[in-house]
Amino acid sequence: MSQPAMINRYRWYELIGIYAGIFLFLSFILAPFVEGFLVSLKPLSLLFSSPYRFWPENGSFEAYRTMWVSVPGFARYIFNSFLISTVVTVVVLLLVVPSAYAFARFKFRGSAALLAAFLAVNMFSGAVLLIPLFRLMRSLGVLNTYFAMIVPGVAFLIPSAIWLLRTYMMRIPRELDEAALVDGASHIYTLCRVILPIAMPGIAVVAITTFIGSYAQQFIFALTFNSKTEYMPLPIGLYAYFGRQEVVWNELMAASFVGIAPAVIVIFYLQRYLVSGLTAGAVKQ
Amino acid sequence: MGQLTLKKVQKFYGTYEVLKRIELEVKNGEFVVFVGPSGCGKSTLLRMIAGLDETSAGDILIDGKRVNDLPPVKRGIAMVFQSYALYPHMTVFENIAFPLRVEKMPEERLKAKVEHAARILHLGERLQQKPGMLSGGQRQRVAIGRAIVREPKIFLFDEPLSNLDAALRADMRIELAKLHRQLKATMIYVTHDQVEAMTMADRIVVLNAGEIAQTGAPLELYHKPANVFVAGFIGHPRMNFLPVTCKGASDAGIEIDFLGQTALIPVHPRAGMVGATLTLGIRPEHIAIGSGDLSLTITPSVVERLGANTVAYASLGEDSENYCAMLPGTVALRTDEPVKTGIRAADCHLFDQNGMAFERRVDMTDIDMALFDPAA
Repeated sequence: MSQPAMINRYRWYELIGIYAGIFLFLSFILAPFVEGFLVSLKPLSLLFSSPYRFWPENGSFEAYRTMWVSVPGFARYIFNSFLISTVVTVVVLLLVVPSAYAFARFKFRGSAALLAAFLAVNMFSGAVLLIPLFRLMRSLGVLNTYFAMIVPGVAFLIPSAIWLLRTYMMRIPRELDEAALVDGASHIYTLCRVILPIAMPGIAVVAITTFIGSYAQQFIFALTFNSKTEYMPLPIGLYAYFGRQEVVWNELMAASFVGIAPAVIVIFYLQRYLVSGLTAGAVKQ
Repeated sequence: MGQLTLKKVQKFYGTYEVLKRIELEVKNGEFVVFVGPSGCGKSTLLRMIAGLDETSAGDILIDGKRVNDLPPVKRGIAMVFQSYALYPHMTVFENIAFPLRVEKMPEERLKAKVEHAARILHLGERLQQKPGMLSGGQRQRVAIGRAIVREPKIFLFDEPLSNLDAALRADMRIELAKLHRQLKATMIYVTHDQVEAMTMADRIVVLNAGEIAQTGAPLELYHKPANVFVAGFIGHPRMNFLPVTCKGASDAGIEIDFLGQTALIPVHPRAGMVGATLTLGIRPEHIAIGSGDLSLTITPSVVERLGANTVAYASLGEDSENYCAMLPGTVALRTDEPVKTGIRAADCHLFDQNGMAFERRVDMTDIDMALFDPAA
């Protein structure tokens, strides 16, 4: 019998309160997903029936088949979204890892100001800068390319990534750098062989948030900087289910779930690196 | 070779002088311990020798070559950190091999060297484990192994044992002393623990507020402390200090007056001391029950019975520090019961108003043959 620690012991009414609270918030968060999934199972006619029934009566996965037929380019949209987010994540990591290390370890003039500036950039949402960015892209002649969706994505995701990773790297004991320095290792060598492996959980967090962030923000950039169907990412692609006459709700919902799937898989994969206690035994705490 | 010279080495943090013109000569193969209270600058000095901290002024020479502007690895030093600083994601083998991997040493030689170091440190069976699975003592040995494989001219230790528990610390002390004999390398060791300093050092450098208070062999510091600071710092429990008046000086020593009692302390006198207030120092272990050249009746307020010894603390007045006596464990002492104690004049230390010692007439060769210099 393992008893929970004293600090984790609650009375029965406290437990009921805790679970009631969890249930309340979870139902708010999850209800749309459940409803979305149920809608995807219903035939379109049933959706507008009155009285409305939540439970799909003769429900089927038919919409998951017809969605590919009614919008033939849908696979391409998923691929585009995935491609853009992956490239954004890789580029952000390549840029952010060395810079976070520099911010965490080196004292240089203007480092505090730079960090504050990064935070300030985060306060502008991308939407505010859309028009200047559009003009910039147009004069560079990169409108209607992947480039136009990737570069702003990277730019807007870098600041928070630097802040996240810098904080993580500051927790890695400085003695490890000093020991490596005494042993003759260069900064780059130390970063690659010592800091990177230890910072892996932090890097995984940054990768996940960047990937999700990029998935979410491509909508606005794709809407403005791209008008070519073949480069459309998923969020724009979903508009294809908005027909002239009606919205094909069941297919739209099915498409949403299918579209999210690759991102979910990536996140589950990255989660493997979210192990704690990687620094165990490095230094005496 | 591993000979180190510090010439007027200074360190400033802003305008604050942390280290004040340190002059020191360390011979090849010597085990030198820097000891001092926290904040005295001993770790900073070590980090400057290592090349981790910048030297503000003065020269650091290793084997006669100025190394101020060289990175650590070019100085021929290796350092063992207080916190071990092991790489947690690497095995013990890779941790020890790290400096050799940096050098890009061929795999075969690297393996031989790591295994040699592991043998010296009894880590053979642990080579494939990660630091997280090791005990504190083993981790510290891995850290030492990483220093050994580089075969440095000078080993630098920054309080390497202070994270270990008392029993392990005693073991590691012995192992380090053995290691020093085995490697015959120059070692510089920083600690705040005077037991470590006394037991391991060939020579102790006592630092106080950024200055060298005294440099000398362990027993030299114990028997002939140069000033009140060293006298109080070396020895446990701390030396007792009593205010006395100088009555006269002769070749035999200085005659002092303490609460109406006079005694002749055998020290080398200086002129013009008559009438001055001096400080008499007496170590707790040199106080005995009964009368001596000077006698003092004390009323212990606290009695600590350690078995081998019994330590009595008594107050000599309102504001004065505790007067401490370390007596044999068999002495029947009770708190609040007065007891007469005596001290021998020959055991006393005498300091002038500035806290500088009058040199005691103690023949160190009688105490420690190792200190006997045939050339003198």
